[in-house]
Amino acid sequence: MDSLSLVGLLLVGALLAGVSYRFFHGRGHKVAGKQAIDLKRLGATKNSLPAHSLGKKATLLQFSTEYCGQCPGVRRQLAQLEYRFGGLSHVEVDITERIDIAAHFNISQTPTIFVLDPRGEIVYRIGGVPKMPLLMAELEKLGVK
Amino acid sequence: MSVQFIDPRGPRFAAGITSLISLAAFAAAIGALANLSTANVLMATLLVLFAWSVVAPKSHPYQLIFRHLVRPRLKDPLELEDPRPPQFSQKVGLSFALLGGIGIALSSAELVAIAAAFIFLAAFLNAFFGFCLGCQMYLLLKRAGLLGK
Repeated sequence: MDSLSLVGLLLVGALLAGVSYRFFHGRGHKVAGKQAIDLKRLGATKNSLPAHSLGKKATLLQFSTEYCGQCPGVRRQLAQLEYRFGGLSHVEVDITERIDIAAHFNISQTPTIFVLDPRGEIVYRIGGVPKMPLLMAELEKLGVK
Repeated sequence: MSVQFIDPRGPRFAAGITSLISLAAFAAAIGALANLSTANVLMATLLVLFAWSVVAPKSHPYQLIFRHLVRPRLKDPLELEDPRPPQFSQKVGLSFALLGGIGIALSSAELVAIAAAFIFLAAFLNAFFGFCLGCQMYLLLKRAGLLGK
């Protein structure tokens, strides 16, 4: 292969990576295996204050770090959902220094969002900035509307 | 902790320029454009620019260009951003540029090309697709034990 086509290959590769990043990023998947979350044990917060109670219908649990440029925007979006829909609660856990938590839940990127049912069991998880229509569809299954 | 928030378009503008320089460095290193000494000069430039933004981000040339030439032509930002995520990206960029620096020292065109390709990918995805290195890599590096503290 001549060197000019290698440059083209890099460019095309970068474009493909970008398009698939946009496509796959923020899609969630169902979580089987009923793992219940203890918000108190995780040290969940809302507006930097401790927040340990689950939403009556669903809870959005957001994992963030200091180095995550997309986390504050997602925090605002999810807080708005909480404001708009009854029975929905949004809480956050900063795992910058809590690699044990990241390892336990196998979190490799932030934001990562868990959708919890009223018993605190993980039913859905999203890596990255959530695609809102997909997230809303999951929340509707739990009776949030 | 008080952090001075920044216009989020500044770092993306900077990433756009970085992606151009690194693409040129890659092309030169593999012989598609100019020659190896051009690649070395471009890689050394990237090294200096990354080091500059890690040590003194406020006086960085990209930021000066953005503040004086670009920002006045844009609308006010919708929101400001924490500067720590882009600074993390700059450190990742610096470590790749250091790899390129080793390539220069060993006069290894392959090493310079590999470093340039990685810098290009990260900067290009950041500038044009909103990819965020701090979001994707911090936990991976930390969990792999590659980040101290």
